Amino acid sequence: MKLNHPIRGALAVAALYLLGAVVFRELREHALFSAEAIARSMGVLMGLVVVVSANAIPKRLVPLARLSCDPGRELTLRRVGAWALVLGGLGYTLAYALAPIGIASTLAIGLLAPGVLVVVGVMARCAWKRHQAG
Amino acid sequence: MTSIFKALADPTRRQVLQMLRAGPMGAGALAEAFEVSKPTMSAHFAVLLAADLIEAEKSGRTIMYRLKMSVLEEALMGFAQAFGLQVTPEAPPTTIRKQSKEKS
Repeated sequence: MKLNHPIRGALAVAALYLLGAVVFRELREHALFSAEAIARSMGVLMGLVVVVSANAIPKRLVPLARLSCDPGRELTLRRVGAWALVLGGLGYTLAYALAPIGIASTLAIGLLAPGVLVVVGVMARCAWKRHQAG
Repeated sequence: MTSIFKALADPTRRQVLQMLRAGPMGAGALAEAFEVSKPTMSAHFAVLLAADLIEAEKSGRTIMYRLKMSVLEEALMGFAQAFGLQVTPEAPPTTIRKQSKEKS
């Protein structure tokens, strides 16, 4: 059975997370990595996955025409959502990489959350426009 | 990646991408905005299609082009726009009809 591309990509990301968790656990058990280094590495890994996934949003997603709006608006909303998530993901990555570990998690979420809110807002706006159009 | 740089190196192609940001456009409407021949414009479209920066869809008798750029590619285009990226021999500047009309 041959899996289609989006599912393959999602499975690869899930496998990467699981593999990362197992590898980091082993490294910690053998005292090769501190708890802080593991937390930072996983944070950076998750942030990079967000950046890479969001980067491809305008290119890979099937047209949202059924969900929205006119094609021009749909394209704009998709671009805004992608940019918001890429910048949020970059902020998340940098927070885990550079901020003091005590506040890294809070700062990372604080930086990514606005991007997620923008995407939710974009989708809600599209759905609302569609609802209004009947 | 080379095909993307090649596509973004030309100001006409960058202008086409800028115009497509507003939404899908027909090949004719896009070609009319530039003072270049239709075969030249077709060649520009071919380069953009090869770089996977746009996609074409046949709608009746016209071909509609829509933007298909990732965030990184858009950032690269902005960079090329700002700093005049040139990876191919410089092409003669193309004027846009709308601008020349405004001037006259």
